[in-house]
Amino acid sequence: MQTSIEFIVKPEWDEIEKIRNKSAEFLQAHHLNEDTIHSLSMIISELIENGIKYGNFKGPENSVVVMIRVERNAVTIEVLNPVGEIASKHLLRLDKTIQWIRGYQDPFEPYMERFKEVSRQPLNDDESGLGLVRIAYEGQALLDFFVGENHSLNVSAVSEIEGDDRNYS
Amino acid sequence: MNRLIFDDKLEKLQAELFILPLIIAHKDKIKRSFIEYTANLTYDLNAYKKLFDRLDSRYADEPEEIKRSVQQAIIETEGRKFMNFLDEKLGELENIIINFSKKDHERHGYYLRKQLWTFLMCSPFMTRTNIKPRGYSGDSVIMKMIYDDQYAGSSTFGKLMHKHPIEHPAAQAVRNRRDLVAKRLRALKSRDLKSTPKIRVLSVACGPAFELHDVVTSAADCARYHFTLLDQDEYALAEARNQIRRIGKKFGQKIEADFLNESVRTMHNMAELDKSGENFDYIYSMGLFDYLTPPVAKAVIGKLYQVLNVGGEMVIGNFHISNASRYYMEYWLDWVLYYRSEQEFRDLLINVNSAVADIVFEETGSQMLMQVKRSGV
Repeated sequence: MQTSIEFIVKPEWDEIEKIRNKSAEFLQAHHLNEDTIHSLSMIISELIENGIKYGNFKGPENSVVVMIRVERNAVTIEVLNPVGEIASKHLLRLDKTIQWIRGYQDPFEPYMERFKEVSRQPLNDDESGLGLVRIAYEGQALLDFFVGENHSLNVSAVSEIEGDDRNYS
Repeated sequence: MNRLIFDDKLEKLQAELFILPLIIAHKDKIKRSFIEYTANLTYDLNAYKKLFDRLDSRYADEPEEIKRSVQQAIIETEGRKFMNFLDEKLGELENIIINFSKKDHERHGYYLRKQLWTFLMCSPFMTRTNIKPRGYSGDSVIMKMIYDDQYAGSSTFGKLMHKHPIEHPAAQAVRNRRDLVAKRLRALKSRDLKSTPKIRVLSVACGPAFELHDVVTSAADCARYHFTLLDQDEYALAEARNQIRRIGKKFGQKIEADFLNESVRTMHNMAELDKSGENFDYIYSMGLFDYLTPPVAKAVIGKLYQVLNVGGEMVIGNFHISNASRYYMEYWLDWVLYYRSEQEFRDLLINVNSAVADIVFEETGSQMLMQVKRSGV
């Protein structure tokens, strides 16, 4: 069975649902149970959404790349999008946020903190910032990222798979 | 009230109240055996704290020298017994959590810290790993505490709670790896390296770079190396700058060094590391890869390998899955690492051609060091 799959995604909001469905089919084929697929689908959607939101699609690279790899003990999701040379402010914030989330043993803590923060923001602020903490807490995944040589931002989520995450019935 | 509603600054103050039920419900899945363990531990820690605090108060008015000697005597007698008690409780903890899932560990760790919070806050070391004033646990102040390996704290109880984790295998491994990395670097002195006249060294996530004291041990050494020290933490980098200055001053020489305040995650091109465009003879990173997941670790190792000279050597540290302090760190210190087996560590080199790798362990067996040599052209 194929252990990994790759999607080239147009940076359009409608694409998210399509990729979510296709990746769910791929994960089902690996006997992952419904709850696990639901969590992983949420991660995939959040990462693509961020890729579209913060990507710079004016250059020759004008798509979001999604890679999903299923291994015995883990599922790794990588989402790549081009970033401009002047994206340093966004990258710095991303770096700090991911390290902050991963600094806690229990992602429940950053989840609660971010929840409180969001509630203190003005009502017209549409950037909730909850996506990454949802991936860590609800999706139970380890977030990380790096910038590749061609100014491509690679954000990944590694989700540990345990025995009861699979369903062979 | 008007300001809150009409200035578009309405804050949902009730959010704090919404959160409370979530926090309370977070304990619902805590296992009975763990609740019992934590309750007994809390009781015992209370008893020990009261004892040591009472003893402290008995000699509080004595002259400083007397106070120091009395405290020392207490630490060496009852204090050691308390340290043994902590060891026993950690052993007990490991038995209770042996079949826990990742989610169980997270939830139970949170519960334990909430229960023990006042005790943890007596220890300067535990306070810092839990509070993370610089956004991460293993900052340069923590590293210094580990290297110093001293009793610190405002009470005898605090001093013991500070020293106990610093004596644990993971902390000893940090001290051991510092020696190993310095030893490898010193061994380069006599080797025939292509870059002349200086040995070019890159330290990635350098922290305070205390190990340079073990590397540069003479006036001749000051002229032998060019250091490039990279860290995302500006405070750590400032401390590294001071180390270099101090060492140079000690030998009356100037040491060539560049300091880069960068994150390996955001550096898209490692060639930016050196304006002269020269590569490095020795690259080392002791406490970075424990935080990188495989996709990122592979990319970073690949980037570093690109700037390693042929014949040069790269030494990368990573804690092993068998780290004896793992659950102590996770449950008490809120300090989580990305652990690897030897094979998983080796797999990070999957995209690197012409590399010869060897993995060694420091004495405690908690920490691996992968030595990668660049062969070929």
